[in-house]
Amino acid sequence: MSSWLDYTINGLIVGNVYALVAVGLALIFGVSRLINFAQGSIYLVGAYIGWVAVVQLHTPLPLTIIVVALAAALVGLIIERFGLRPLQNSARIAPLLATIGISFVLDQIVMLTFSPNPRALPSQLPDVRFQVGNGTIGPLDLLIAGVGLTSALLLFVFLRYSKLGWAVRATAQDRDAAMQMGVDVNRVNQAVFGIAAALGGVSGMLVGMYYNQIDTAMSLQATLKGVVAEVVGGAGNVPGAVVGSLLLGLVESYGVAVFGTSYRNLFAFLLLVLVLVLRPNGLFASARQAPPEPLTGTFIAPSRPVRIPRWALLIAVGGFAILPLFPVSFYVLQTLINAWLLGMLALSLTLVAGTIGQVSLGHAALLAIGAYTSALLSSSFSVPVGLAVIAGGLMSAALGTTLISPSFRLRGHYVSIATLAIGEIVSLVILNWESVTRGPIGISGIPPLSLFGYDLISASSVYWFSFAVMVVLALLQGRLLNSHLGRSFRAIRDDDIAARAYGLSLNRYKSLAFIFGGFAAGVSGAIAAHLYSYINHETFNTQQSILALTVVILGGLGNVVGAVVGSVALVGLPEVFRIAAEYRILIYGIVLLLLVRFRPQGLLGTI
Amino acid sequence: MTTTASPSDPLLALSGVNTFYGQAQVHFDLSISVARGHIVCLLGGNASGKSTTMKIILGLVKPRSGDVTFDGASLLGLSTPQIVRRGIASVPEARRLFADMSVRENILMGAFVRSDRAAVAQDLERMLALFPKLGQRLSQRAGSLSGGEQQMVAMARALMSRPRMIVMDEPTMGLSPLYVDRVLELIGTINQEGVSVFMVEQNASLALEIAHEAYVLQTGRIVLSGPARALKDDPRVRDAYLGGSEAA
Repeated sequence: MSSWLDYTINGLIVGNVYALVAVGLALIFGVSRLINFAQGSIYLVGAYIGWVAVVQLHTPLPLTIIVVALAAALVGLIIERFGLRPLQNSARIAPLLATIGISFVLDQIVMLTFSPNPRALPSQLPDVRFQVGNGTIGPLDLLIAGVGLTSALLLFVFLRYSKLGWAVRATAQDRDAAMQMGVDVNRVNQAVFGIAAALGGVSGMLVGMYYNQIDTAMSLQATLKGVVAEVVGGAGNVPGAVVGSLLLGLVESYGVAVFGTSYRNLFAFLLLVLVLVLRPNGLFASARQAPPEPLTGTFIAPSRPVRIPRWALLIAVGGFAILPLFPVSFYVLQTLINAWLLGMLALSLTLVAGTIGQVSLGHAALLAIGAYTSALLSSSFSVPVGLAVIAGGLMSAALGTTLISPSFRLRGHYVSIATLAIGEIVSLVILNWESVTRGPIGISGIPPLSLFGYDLISASSVYWFSFAVMVVLALLQGRLLNSHLGRSFRAIRDDDIAARAYGLSLNRYKSLAFIFGGFAAGVSGAIAAHLYSYINHETFNTQQSILALTVVILGGLGNVVGAVVGSVALVGLPEVFRIAAEYRILIYGIVLLLLVRFRPQGLLGTI
Repeated sequence: MTTTASPSDPLLALSGVNTFYGQAQVHFDLSISVARGHIVCLLGGNASGKSTTMKIILGLVKPRSGDVTFDGASLLGLSTPQIVRRGIASVPEARRLFADMSVRENILMGAFVRSDRAAVAQDLERMLALFPKLGQRLSQRAGSLSGGEQQMVAMARALMSRPRMIVMDEPTMGLSPLYVDRVLELIGTINQEGVSVFMVEQNASLALEIAHEAYVLQTGRIVLSGPARALKDDPRVRDAYLGGSEAA
């Protein structure tokens, strides 16, 4: 049995690891006002480079650390130069989306190179533990603490005494003024990405050694934890990021001590949401600090939408409606059913992210809420499936809106962070609330779709059902966008301060958007649950949230027809070209990157 | 339009500049020149395109057509840091100090493009002689100073690069009358040391006191220009600016 001192030591050590990630995030945010969602991927790359160095090249530990730091820094420099610098003059959403795309690409490259199976990463340190009071501490703990402190010291000296360090601080405080002093902002960005990547890479390696295991799931977790620590400390605040990290490490460690391991992440995300709601500038932000987002909405790229004539839409809808009457294969219908389900999710997200400008990264949670509601109602309470699906949609609308409502006063990147965290919280609650959700076992034996007592078993009946639901939702949303309400939504997106000055209540309109969007996503999740007949807490994950976002950007943010076209394209094209499943995520990441760079308004244009 | 009898070889010249923000045109065929050793003032009300003129000179905004030359060489295509290295320093609108850095660090940031450490240290001493009040404030956060003190820091910061020219955006804006006089006096001192000054001002009567030449900008067009002395007595300037700007 571990003592509370052990939990404290563990919390501080884990906090040190988070600090290495969070400090990099804070440096980058300070200089470019960007949350780098690829930071976790660099951490992952660091862990695997460490594995290659230790297991295959048998390098001694100090050399391993240097190799990992240099290699990771190189990756950071490449990301900055080729992924982000071309986007300097783009809409503010562009670099954020690019880092998400880069993170997908890097993670998949690592997975394809090393396989998704976990590997052991030995630390090469003697396996002894020293007694300290009533706790113990090992050489690896000391190494991590040492690396953390040394890095912090080096960073302090760099920022305080080097010319480039001064340039970094000046740029963080006032980019234009720094340029007017002769600071080359591109060099500052390079320096910051290089340092952040080196620290992140070493952090990944240390964590791998600490748990003697590395796998590709580390990436997203690291990004999330780093972001939590950084936001808790105050975005862009380097010392704040260190304190935030240690605090996060301790909160998690004590949470695990009291409630058990599966609660670790829940505490992290609850801490994040609490800080975002109560002190969005972090625990240590000074009151004078300028708001980190521009006051007017430059977040969405403006464009002229492509006009599609009504007859063309009618022909397309008619064509897809009569498709099952022709001798098409089961495989084609199955693929299109997936596209229609994704289409409902995309409709939801294009409304929330595109029309009212709240870029949600946790949309899969709405699927999960709808799916669990419908599955539990129909299997445990024998509610007819048709009603249960509608109940799923309503539950997603109500619960989703309630969960997100404390974050309504946030803007830009912060909305993305909050929705990401809320998405994770929903998944963790599903995992831990065993009496209702059956926890990690999941729900099996979910009854098939049925309507008025008739089971929809055949592929064509499921096809028609999902297609009809999607078309109805799309029509409703189209009407909504052309109404006064739709204009109010767009006004809030384009300039929330001006919209407020005209008397629009942000809370009310954001709620309405999330209610409508929540319903569409909930219905999609519910139908999916009845099709799969088995769901668990991992069925609807962040990957789906990001896929939906890619679809929405592909179609054009806010564009209803675009959301459906994007779904058919991203679900259909990989099938047409027979791309193996493991390459698909890689393709999605590349598609996202190319879109952001070359066609940010999507195929059909933002509305 | 009156033509200025400018020296044959101006230090800074904007010629035929047209600038756009998206569809909206900000400058119409703008031509301005600053003679070596002179103080030139650009007057104009809100939204006349004054601040954009500053941004054009500093390379923060690129004109669609026309040319900007400094000492005979074009500045177009150069980045802001490169332009600073050519010898143009700036005192931006609302000072734009690095609020969380100390006063000393702010002033030294002005010497960012220099690598002669010993001379930089000497220049810091020189600045403290020129701005004696800053001596006691060196280790204080720049953001904690008063507006007038911040203006002093911003001017010292600009001088630290040993510029041939300083561009200033509304250096007297928001300052108490005492500091307004002090700032104008300092601009004169700086100029006597051989630094050319291009300043954008709303407060026409004050600016015309110290300037050699002045231009009046109205919705993106130069409507008047000439020696400051002549403009001061020009009824059109008096009507358009001197009456209203005293109150503002």
